[in-house]
Amino acid sequence: MSEIDCQETKKHVHEYLHNELSEQELDDITAHLANCDSCEADYDLESTINHKIEEHCQEVPSAELLDGIKSRLQQILRGEAH
Amino acid sequence: MATLSMNMPFRARRLNSKQMSKTESPEDRKVRLFEEQAIPLMPQLYGAAMNMTKNPTNAEDLLQETMVKAFKAFNQFEQGTNIRAWLYKIMNNTNINTNVKAGKALGKTALDELEDWQIGGAESVTSVAARSAESEAIDAMPSETVKKALLELPDKWRMIVYYRVVDGLSYAEIAQVLEIPEGSVMSGLHRGKKMLRNLLLDYAREEGYKVGEEE
Repeated sequence: MSEIDCQETKKHVHEYLHNELSEQELDDITAHLANCDSCEADYDLESTINHKIEEHCQEVPSAELLDGIKSRLQQILRGEAH
Repeated sequence: MATLSMNMPFRARRLNSKQMSKTESPEDRKVRLFEEQAIPLMPQLYGAAMNMTKNPTNAEDLLQETMVKAFKAFNQFEQGTNIRAWLYKIMNNTNINTNVKAGKALGKTALDELEDWQIGGAESVTSVAARSAESEAIDAMPSETVKKALLELPDKWRMIVYYRVVDGLSYAEIAQVLEIPEGSVMSGLHRGKKMLRNLLLDYAREEGYKVGEEE
C-alpha cells in the first residue's frame, strides 16, 4: 500500500464515490480517509450532495405519455407491415 | 404480422410460447426484443429528457421522438451491447438536432475554458467543523432548492452530473453517449459538482446558515 496525501485524496473524491478507481487506489484512499478528518469531511459533503440530487431530481412520466408512445410505435409497426 | 402488445406487461404476447419458438419471424423478434429491452427504460429516459430540456412538454416530445427513432433503427442495434447507452445517445443527438433546427444550438460554449475562479469558491482549506456544517445545511435543503440548483448548471455539466448521479451511468457510458473522451467526463463532473456545491452553499447562506465562510 502506498501513502497518498490530502491533495491527491481530495482530487479523487468523485471517482471514489462513483466507484471508478482501481482496487489499489481505492485501498489507498480508504486508508487515508480513516486517518484524516479533513478529507473525510470533504467526502461526506460530496456524498451528501449526491444523495440529495438522487433523491430530489428524479422525474416520473405520466402513464398517458407512456401509453401514447406505445400507441405511436404500434402505428408505425402497422404501417411497416402493410 | 408482428404486434406490439398494448397492455403491460409487454411480454404477454398473443402467440403462445410454443408458437413463438417455432414461428417467430425476424419482425416478431425485433418487436419482442424492443419490448423487453427498450420499453422498460422509458421512465428513466424521461428523467434525462426533463433534465435536458427543463420543460415537461419538450421532454415528452423528446422522449417520443427518441423512442420512434430507436424503434425504427432497432435492427442496427447490436444485441449484447449496451442498450441504455444506445438509447441515451439517440436521445442526446435528437435533442441536439432539435436545438439546431430551432436555432438554439449552443455554439461551442467556452465551457472548457472557464477558469476555476469563474466557477466560484476557491479550493479553500476549510475546517472539519465548517465542512460538517455545510453537509448539514445541504442535507436539510428542500427538494425545490436542489432541483433549481441543478438546473442552473451549464447544459453539458448538468447532463454529466445527472447521468452519473441520478441514472448511474458509468464514466465510459457517459463518454459514449456524449461522444467525448472519458477525461472530459471526469473533469466535467468535477467542475459541475463544484459549481453545484457553491450554488447550494449560496442558498444555504441565504437561508441563514453560517456556511462557506472562508478561513
